[in-house]
Amino acid sequence: MIQAIFYKEWIKLHRYVLLALAVTVAMTGYCMLRIDRAMELNGAAHIWEVMVMKDAIFIDSLEYVPLIAGILAALVQFMPEMQRKCLKLTLHLPCPQKKMLFTMSGTGALLLLLCFAANFALMLGYLGSVLPRELVCNILSAAAPWYLAGLAAYLLTSWICLEPTWKMRIFNILVAALIIRVYFLGSAPKAYNGFLPWLTLYTLALSLLSWISVVRFKAGRQD
Amino acid sequence: MTRISKIFLCLTLAILAIWQLPWCYAFLNTKAAPNRFIMYSSLLNDFIITGYEEGKGFIRQDVAGNLYTEEAVDSLLPMFYMRQLVADEAFPDTLFGVAVSPLEVQRTSFNLRIRPSAVNGPETRLYFLLESMPKRVDLQMPEDAFRFTDTGIEFIIMETNSVDAAKSGRFTQVLRDKGFAFPPRKVSGNPTTMKEYDNGYLLIDANGNVFHLKQTAGQPYVKALSLPENVEARHIFLTEFRDRRLLGFLTDTRNRCFAILSDGSMTETGIPSYNPETDNFTIIGNMFDMTVRISSPDATHYYGLSADDYSLLKSYEPASESGTHIPGLSFTSPYDRHVRPRF
Repeated sequence: MIQAIFYKEWIKLHRYVLLALAVTVAMTGYCMLRIDRAMELNGAAHIWEVMVMKDAIFIDSLEYVPLIAGILAALVQFMPEMQRKCLKLTLHLPCPQKKMLFTMSGTGALLLLLCFAANFALMLGYLGSVLPRELVCNILSAAAPWYLAGLAAYLLTSWICLEPTWKMRIFNILVAALIIRVYFLGSAPKAYNGFLPWLTLYTLALSLLSWISVVRFKAGRQD
Repeated sequence: MTRISKIFLCLTLAILAIWQLPWCYAFLNTKAAPNRFIMYSSLLNDFIITGYEEGKGFIRQDVAGNLYTEEAVDSLLPMFYMRQLVADEAFPDTLFGVAVSPLEVQRTSFNLRIRPSAVNGPETRLYFLLESMPKRVDLQMPEDAFRFTDTGIEFIIMETNSVDAAKSGRFTQVLRDKGFAFPPRKVSGNPTTMKEYDNGYLLIDANGNVFHLKQTAGQPYVKALSLPENVEARHIFLTEFRDRRLLGFLTDTRNRCFAILSDGSMTETGIPSYNPETDNFTIIGNMFDMTVRISSPDATHYYGLSADDYSLLKSYEPASESGTHIPGLSFTSPYDRHVRPRF
């Protein structure tokens, strides 16, 4: 049954995942190309200097890309489910509801993480060849909270989409906006380093929120 | 599961409330702090306070409350308002029996600001060592960067991102020969070409000893600096002021502040306490005196120091004017650049 749920979610998401993969990898590639061109035009020394002394990371264009990717992934996955009332049918399948919900969320999160991993692999592959480990670490540590925000945005948007009433949806959107703000409070490289493990745990715990929406849906809450 | 999810949501809402509500209160109720400029005047042997005061307008007074005109303040702070006095043809020939000229004032005046956010990191731990005796007049940024490892110093050629083994070995050997213990606890330098000369770096090594590192004609220059007795170095700051009298400042584990003179000797300043991790430090100096402002989370102190021996001439603590603070959760702080929850 779990495999069937996974397959169902794959059918819903595969086109989007491929598109998200193409767009995020293209954006990451663009940022790497920018660094390459800057090094070509200004010399590697100049780029190293501004990175060390001005905390420049050259991947600022990527800041909200994972966030948007996460929001869209949840919308693509759960909006049709709610609009066509498919969730009611899903919850009647002969499988524990919690297991089913977390398989659905897990599938989306896993596909999103694969997409993000491809971005990180591209960055690591290129940057490792032209920059020392300290500067690579600066760039990746600055990007880490953005990608974690992408995962959080996916889980929070799932929570919002699965919520059956608009009144609560608006409340959830406000709460989600504040939570997402936490991932964008500091732009300095390594700013989140000490907090990142805790933020990762918190982000994973956000998956619990969808269950509250499903419970309310099962209770027949309506506008 | 439903209960756990609801508890998690309630916890999240509580955290968001204690984060956002104090912020909203502060955002709506914050009033502009009085903008005052306070300088020590050796001629008056007191601090001169200038700035706007509610109901009084722009004021110029000393600590006792005696009021002064704009021209009187210019004359009482001739080193600071030198350009104005020169324009008014009122710049004195001598001060305290010492001949002064605008050129001399320019050469000996300096200011330095150290913020806790710069001390508390995070750091990249890559540094640039300029040539301190360049063939050309202007300083030039180097073609390599360096890092400290547990066993030595590594120079990396930036164009190829590869280690310069020969130069790394040379510098490591000289540092080792001088008794340097890797890796350093603190590294302080000012790698920019926007200065008149280069003093390299001041280092506190793994054993707490202080060293001065420079590159002179491509060769390493390393000098071990002796610490005064019972001083355990904690923070170090390199300075490159025009008059070249100072090499930097050092603070110890007891928050005492020492001036490092250009010959490497250290002398304790009259600043009673300075903790670079929590206090904002500003020093404005000239050939006769220095005004030091130390702003800690609780209070702001001003100290007038003698430029001869850094002894304390006078201190002043203005009345605290901080407004009501609502305790709450914050993720950022003016004292560092880390993002993490703190009350």
